Amino acid sequence: MLRLTDVHKAFGDLVVLDGVSLEFNAGQTTAIIGPSGTGKSVLLKHLVGLIHADAGTVECFGVDMASASEREIYSVRRRFGMLFQDGALFDSMSVGENIAFPLVHHEKKLSAAQRMERVEQVLEEVELPGFADRDTAALSGGQRKRVGLARAIIHRPEVVLFDEPNSGLDPMTSDAIDALILRMKERLGVTFIVISHDIVGVMNVADQVGMLHGGHLIAYGPPSELVHNPHPMLRRFLGRNLALPKGPQDPTTLPSLKLQR
Amino acid sequence: MNASKNTARITPMASLGRFGLFMLRFAREAIRRPPPPGRTLAEAYAVGVAALPILLIIAAFVGTNLAIQGYTAFQLIGGQRMVGLFVALTGVREFGPIIAASMVAAKSGTEMASQIAVMRIRDQIDALEVMAVQPHWYLVTPRLLGILIAMPAVTTLSTFTMVSAAYLVSVYQLDLSGATFMEFALSATSPVDLLVSNVKAILFGAVICLVSCYNGFVSDPGPEGVGASTNRAVVLSAVSCVLLNYLISEAIY
Repeated sequence: MLRLTDVHKAFGDLVVLDGVSLEFNAGQTTAIIGPSGTGKSVLLKHLVGLIHADAGTVECFGVDMASASEREIYSVRRRFGMLFQDGALFDSMSVGENIAFPLVHHEKKLSAAQRMERVEQVLEEVELPGFADRDTAALSGGQRKRVGLARAIIHRPEVVLFDEPNSGLDPMTSDAIDALILRMKERLGVTFIVISHDIVGVMNVADQVGMLHGGHLIAYGPPSELVHNPHPMLRRFLGRNLALPKGPQDPTTLPSLKLQR
Repeated sequence: MNASKNTARITPMASLGRFGLFMLRFAREAIRRPPPPGRTLAEAYAVGVAALPILLIIAAFVGTNLAIQGYTAFQLIGGQRMVGLFVALTGVREFGPIIAASMVAAKSGTEMASQIAVMRIRDQIDALEVMAVQPHWYLVTPRLLGILIAMPAVTTLSTFTMVSAAYLVSVYQLDLSGATFMEFALSATSPVDLLVSNVKAILFGAVICLVSCYNGFVSDPGPEGVGASTNRAVVLSAVSCVLLNYLISEAIY
C-alpha cells in the first residue's frame, strides 16, 4: 500500500535519509522512532508528497509520488489524514470549522447540518464533546492534538499519520493521547503511522516499530522483538526510556515495561 | 540568526526564480477555479477598511502641504491661482495612487505576509496540502481579488480627500478663491487621468498582494523569519509600486 524503496534525501550537505526502504502494511500501526533531527518527519512528508526524494521511490496506493501529476498527488492525499505536531489548526476558525474543513472542500454535497453532525461525532470520538463552538486559540496543547486528530479522521481516511503526537505534552496528557490512539486503532481499523521519540507510547500502540539513525533504518520489527535487538544505538535509545529486560522475554509481558519518564 | 543566514544564501536570481514559480502556480490555480466563496469580500473589506483611517489622515495632510508648497512656488511667478491645477494634477495622477499603495502595503501587505508566514512556520500550509486544498488557491486568490476590488475605491477616496484638504487650505488659509481653485483643478484633469489613476491602483494592489503573499510563503522558521519576511514584503512592495508608477507615468504622460 505504502512503500519506500532506497529513499535518499539531503538538505544541502546534510544527509537525512540514506537509502531507507520500508513498507507499511494495511491496517497495522507502524511507529518510526529515533532521536530528534534524524529525519522522521521528513520520511512522513515523503509519503504525502510534501517532500520529494532525491533518489529512490515512494509509492502510495500504487502511485509513484515522484512522477505523479499534482492532480494525482492531491487525490492520493485525500486518502490520508495527518495530525501535525502542534495540531496545525487555523486559529481564525472555531474548533468545529477546523474539523469540518476537509468536508467543506471535498464533500460538497453535505449540508451544513450534516457536516455539523459529523463534527459532533468525531468530537465524541476524541472525547471533546460540545467543543465545536470553542475558540481554537484558547485550547490547551492536549486539546489541540485531539482537535487535530478529529480533523484528520473526519473524512474517513485509509491512513492516518501522526507527527510526534506526544511532543510538548505532560506525561498524563501524553498517556491519554496514547490511549486515544489505541482506541481509534481498534475502532477505525485503518493504517496508522506514528512518528515519535516517546518510546513508552510507541511500544504500547505500535504493531511494528522502526528506528531511524544516521539516515538509516537501523532496526525494524514488532516491539516484542525490538526490545531484544542488540544494535547499540537502539539499546542506548531504548535504555533511556524503558527498563529493558535482560534476556528474551514473552511478548505478552511487554505492557508491564516500566516507565522511566 | 539562522533565518538571516538562510535568506543570505539565496541569490537574487534564485529569488526571482522562486517568485516566478510562485506566480506560475498561483496563475494556474487562479485560472482553474474561482476563489473560495465568502473570503473575497472579507478580504476586500479588510483591505479597504483597515487601511482607510490612517490613509485618509495622511492624504489630507499631503493635500494641505501640496497647497502650501504650490502656493509658495507659484507666488514667485505671480501664479498663485494655479494651486488648484497643481494639486489636482499631482494628486490625481501621482500622489493619490502612490500614497494609497504605500498605506495599503504598510497595513494590509504586512498583514498578508505575516499571516501567511505564521501559517508556514506552524505547518498550517502543509496541513492545507495534506488536506488536498491547494494553498495558492486558498490563500492568495481571495486576497488578490479582494485587494483588486478595494484599491480603486481606496485610491479614489484618498485622492478626493487630498484635493479637498488642499481646497480648504487654499480657501481658508491662503485666501484663494474657491471657484478659481475648482476651475483650474477641473481644467487640469480629465476622465482619462481618473482612469489611469484607477489602473495604477489596480496594478499596485496586485503587486502588493503578490509580493506580500510570496514573502509569507517563503518565510524562514521562527519569529525572526516572520519578521524578516514581513519587512521584505513591505520594502519590496513599496519599491515596486514607486518604480511601476514612474514607468506608467513615463509611458502615458
